[in-house]
Amino acid sequence: MLKRSIAAEGLKLRHSRIWLILFVLPSLSILIGCANYYLNQGVLHQEWYSLWTQVSLFYGEFFLPILIAICCSYLCRLEHQNHNWNSLMAAPISPAHVFLAKLAVLGILLFFVQIFFLLLYYGAGKLLQLSSPFPLETLGWIFKGWLACITIASIQLGLSLRIRSFATPIGICLCAVFMGLGMYLLKLGMFFPYSLLTIGMGILQQKCIMGSENLLFIIMNLLFTILFSFISIYRLKNTDITA
Amino acid sequence: MLKALTLEFFKLRRSWIFTMITLFIGVEFLWASLSVSIVLSRHPDSNGWETLLVTVASMNSLFLPILAAIVSSRICDMEHKGDTWKLVLPTSLKLNQIYAAKYGCSCILMLYAALLQTLAITCYGITKGLPPPVPFAWFPTFIIGTMVTSMAILAVQQWVSLSLKNQAFALSLGMVGGFLGLTGDLFPSAVNRIFIWSYYTKLSPVTFHFTDNSAHYIKQTLSLSTLTAVICVTIIFYLVGNLHLSRQEM
Repeated sequence: MLKRSIAAEGLKLRHSRIWLILFVLPSLSILIGCANYYLNQGVLHQEWYSLWTQVSLFYGEFFLPILIAICCSYLCRLEHQNHNWNSLMAAPISPAHVFLAKLAVLGILLFFVQIFFLLLYYGAGKLLQLSSPFPLETLGWIFKGWLACITIASIQLGLSLRIRSFATPIGICLCAVFMGLGMYLLKLGMFFPYSLLTIGMGILQQKCIMGSENLLFIIMNLLFTILFSFISIYRLKNTDITA
Repeated sequence: MLKALTLEFFKLRRSWIFTMITLFIGVEFLWASLSVSIVLSRHPDSNGWETLLVTVASMNSLFLPILAAIVSSRICDMEHKGDTWKLVLPTSLKLNQIYAAKYGCSCILMLYAALLQTLAITCYGITKGLPPPVPFAWFPTFIIGTMVTSMAILAVQQWVSLSLKNQAFALSLGMVGGFLGLTGDLFPSAVNRIFIWSYYTKLSPVTFHFTDNSAHYIKQTLSLSTLTAVICVTIIFYLVGNLHLSRQEM
């Protein structure tokens, strides 16, 4: 049933042009980051790592979390229209499958966004004629960034399922992202879901988290994802949906 | 017309929009006050009020375009979501009146945000013990500059939010606008002049320039030519949006 629910979510996204936003926003971050790197090559000496600081800063701190919020709102938009919640909740699908199918589709979309960003980063590095070898840590940053994306998506999806407005969850996400930055600076980033993206993608500190820190990062992501998914599924099961 | 405007607020009565704006401005101000505290602890000789106003104006370049996108999207999306255009249009109100009422409503909400910021600036300055007197003379310039820029952004956002049912595009535009607003000053002046989102700092009573690795604050009066240019842009976007919508099948 879950497979069919995921296929149904994919069907809803057909002809939606959401891909336009998914591809334009990472491209914009890369463009600005590369321009900044090109203009400041005098002080940015670490080639691939310096380029990463420039391209990932705006992407990870600003564009990606809001992109996740937009995708979550978009995935729930159809249900909030034309009393579709009534049809969906009356269908023989469990609320858990409704939520998990949406989360899985988000995971797939965000995976493609991360891969696209990686390809753009590689292409930009080659265009800028960086001579040092491509750093393999980048793959780790992309994967850990994706894990953090799923965590944020589980929260945002819960908000978008609950709030009928398209824009409100996005506003909440922006506020949370800035709070996350504050938590990261206070060294409490591991305990706030919106800071995990900063840690995972090595945005402010270009070091790959290792050993116990790595394990803690993965555990915290899993914990947050399970917790927020459980809360959303529980609410879907036990609270009346306002269609 | 006033009735149409009242009706827009009536539709918003359970949307918690004032609470949302208050929270949004609260987070922005929290961030700005942290930044000001760090600057003042490192440079105790710098003028606190100037630092505070410049920081809030810079933060506005990022936050207010997104807030404008959210406000405009909420006001316009309720008609799309409830499919209420068919109910609204046969009433005695003309489409351009509804368009004006929605625009007026979003402008009032943004004015609330600007007033809230001014109040927060005053309270923060007094409680933090910034050197008196409180620069009340700067506040009208700050509010006018913030509002004129927000009105230009709202004209664009309302056009997009009403023309496209999918609000993802309107909010993405807001996000890109916020980003351009924040980074606008890094572009050459010929380029950044076309970014309406970056005018929060240009129309602020205090601005700053980096020379010799340090920031120098410059007091400025509202430039009449800049103000006229932004108002002209607002009128153009408003009229184009109104015209485009009147030719669309709702």
